[in-house]
Amino acid sequence: MIDAVKRLFWRASLADHGYLFLFDPPPAGEVVSLDCETTGLDTTTDEILAIAAVPVVDGRIQTSRRFEAFVKPDRAPTADSIKVHRLRARDLEAARPMRDVLPELLRFIGSRPLLGYYIDFDVRMLDRYAKELLQVHLPNRRIEVSSLYYDRKYGKAPPGTTIDLRFASMLEDLGIPQLEQHIAVNDAVMAAMAWLQLTDLVERGQRLKRERRRDATAAPLGA
Amino acid sequence: MSTGFDAQNPPFDRLAQQEVEELRAATDIGYFRPGETIVARGRPSDFLHVVIKGAVEARDAEALQGVLGPRDSFDSRALVHGAAGEDFVAAEETLCFLIPRATVLALIARNAAFAAFFYADVSRKLEAFSEARKAEGGMESVLRARVRDAMHGRAVFIDGAVTIEQAGQAMRDGNTNAAFVRDGERTGVVTGMNLAKAVVLQRLPLDTPVREVTHFDIVAVDEDDFLFEALLSMTRHGKRRLAVRSGGVFAGFLEDIDLLGRFAGNSQLIPGRIDRARDVEELAVAAREIQDQVERLHRQGMKVEVIAEITSDLNRRLFVRLFELVAPPSIREQGCLILMGSEGRGEQTVRTDQDNGLLLAGLVPEADLATFREAFSGALDGFGFPPCPGNVMVRNPLWSQPAEGMVRQLRAWVMERTPDAAMNIAIFLDGVALTGRTALLAETKAALFEMMRGEAVLLGRFAHLIESFATPSIGVLGTLMASVGVTDDAIDIKKAGIFPIVHGVRTMALEKGITETSTAERMAALVRAGSFDGEFGRDIISAHRVFMGYRLASQLDAVRRGSVEGESLLRPSRMTAVDRDILRDSLRVVRQFRDVIATRFRTAAF
Repeated sequence: MIDAVKRLFWRASLADHGYLFLFDPPPAGEVVSLDCETTGLDTTTDEILAIAAVPVVDGRIQTSRRFEAFVKPDRAPTADSIKVHRLRARDLEAARPMRDVLPELLRFIGSRPLLGYYIDFDVRMLDRYAKELLQVHLPNRRIEVSSLYYDRKYGKAPPGTTIDLRFASMLEDLGIPQLEQHIAVNDAVMAAMAWLQLTDLVERGQRLKRERRRDATAAPLGA
Repeated sequence: MSTGFDAQNPPFDRLAQQEVEELRAATDIGYFRPGETIVARGRPSDFLHVVIKGAVEARDAEALQGVLGPRDSFDSRALVHGAAGEDFVAAEETLCFLIPRATVLALIARNAAFAAFFYADVSRKLEAFSEARKAEGGMESVLRARVRDAMHGRAVFIDGAVTIEQAGQAMRDGNTNAAFVRDGERTGVVTGMNLAKAVVLQRLPLDTPVREVTHFDIVAVDEDDFLFEALLSMTRHGKRRLAVRSGGVFAGFLEDIDLLGRFAGNSQLIPGRIDRARDVEELAVAAREIQDQVERLHRQGMKVEVIAEITSDLNRRLFVRLFELVAPPSIREQGCLILMGSEGRGEQTVRTDQDNGLLLAGLVPEADLATFREAFSGALDGFGFPPCPGNVMVRNPLWSQPAEGMVRQLRAWVMERTPDAAMNIAIFLDGVALTGRTALLAETKAALFEMMRGEAVLLGRFAHLIESFATPSIGVLGTLMASVGVTDDAIDIKKAGIFPIVHGVRTMALEKGITETSTAERMAALVRAGSFDGEFGRDIISAHRVFMGYRLASQLDAVRRGSVEGESLLRPSRMTAVDRDILRDSLRVVRQFRDVIATRFRTAAF
């Protein structure tokens, strides 16, 4: 409800009417798996270094039609962030400023729902740029893969069950081969694979088994 | 950028980097739920599927033909030939790379090594891949080398009428120790050694015409022949020098020394050792060399038929020489030594059981026979030939008796109608006569063909042996269970593949009175007779070759381990995706063939 009101407000306050398409009814059976690589986890100060968006249409992950871009940050990336996503300054030579990349990305995504692991983070990052550059918010519906996973795995779990929602654990549980992580396209593709499988489990009313044998060690939460 | 597409996974490892990128750029990923048909039998497919995760069952009507797992791809027939051979159904939650048809076809058109994977014909596929594999081992040159690459010298021609002295001078001038001799219509070969022997040992005058000491039984190869064919020819004829033809005329010589540097081993020298052996001990040395030779040739990437042919030739020589050494005069006079079973078909590779026998034209002294039986079989034991479990050996009086007795025996077996009797008939039918009164075997076999002529019921009984063993599919539960280490997915390649083909073809040969003994030759004769169409015949023979190849590898492995246990077992879970694919195709061919035989001989009635 609140979301709907927000959407209305955003739509009304849209400065550039060229972006009205974001509010079109989304095409049926299509979502876009989105992932950003960033300099850190603070959505107010950190910067986006790479973006990948992979359409998923009727059960097909269209890697052949993916959107992929490297973004030129305002500040040079720190050593810590380089360790995570291995994009070095010189890898970013092909990168373009966000003001060029963002309009392309938005046109690519259109009004399709956005899919991802911890997708709120990615959207918040993009929103910051979108607001600053285009005075728009991304109104797209978001699909959180980890919530779907939680539902299939822990939905009826007794209290005290150790909950492990780490990306790698989820992929392993679903039997999805792990591509090299922290490459935007790979993360987007893996999230899409997980989503397709989880959606199918939902449709067939199947749940994932919880392992009882495993010791209840505290598994860290989060990304 | 990578989306996890493994370019090292055959057949994609045959693509150049740029081609890999092109393929990756065009590839999507598909998700298939359990039970979903991914490609339907008889239908084309817009994609080549490569399994990322999950399992896909290949089904033929109701029968499960195989289970494909990660890295396996399907279905080349649906893609290239427009109709899938089987239904491909997701067995679990499955993700596949989807490579568009147009991309694959473009790569096939450009890259021959990649294209080989998509051949419809099992044997071409196998060959293309084994060649590529050998190339990695650096042995490709040996297989591809032709006679012209190794031959030496210009040909020296001498007229048959010139004297041996002039011939010697001509050879010295030509700096060669062999020359062609033209004598009217004939052409022969004379060597320095021939001239020397003529003068020194035979004390012939120097003005003797050279034709007197010339050999006119030339063994020749063409300069375009493969070197291994030359090796085969040297081995078979026991020659150390071959004449080389070029465009129909003699152009030079190829000597064993020209081959030595290229081929491991010395199979061309073994016949000489066998022939020169003066007693059983000396023969034992040569017998050991045959065994070593097989392993060397296999390591060098020789085709399995060629190895089988070389081994078969060498073993036959060995048996003949042994017969000459140990048979008393009465038996040499009356007897016909025969080889049966796989030895008779020329399809054994690594030394197999003794499957031999003796037919006699008339009675010989019982004492002679007893001595010979023990001496012959005993010597083979000593050479390391395992005794035949079915006791099909000269040592067994059943298999060394007068031809008349054998005909009676065959008739009794025909009437007996038991599996054992049928197996005995089958073994005999594969027999070849090695030495002595070879006509005896032909006559005995003619009597057998006569007994079976038009006897549909008898033939049906005989054919029914093919039902002795099932031909499994790869996988079913096996591959899955094996992959998690629960069970063994071993396939007995001899029972599942080789026997059904050999026996089916043998039954047809018995029905048609075909006298050839090797499976390939029998099939060729059946195709000529119109019993099978050529394409089906080729498929059967290709599948047979595939099984023989796998069997040889596992036999050699067994020899190395020093244990014959499990020597014909194959474990698909340990094979590469391409090998599994080829094995699956071959097993499908066998199942088709079994159906044909079952229908034709109504084996289900027994």
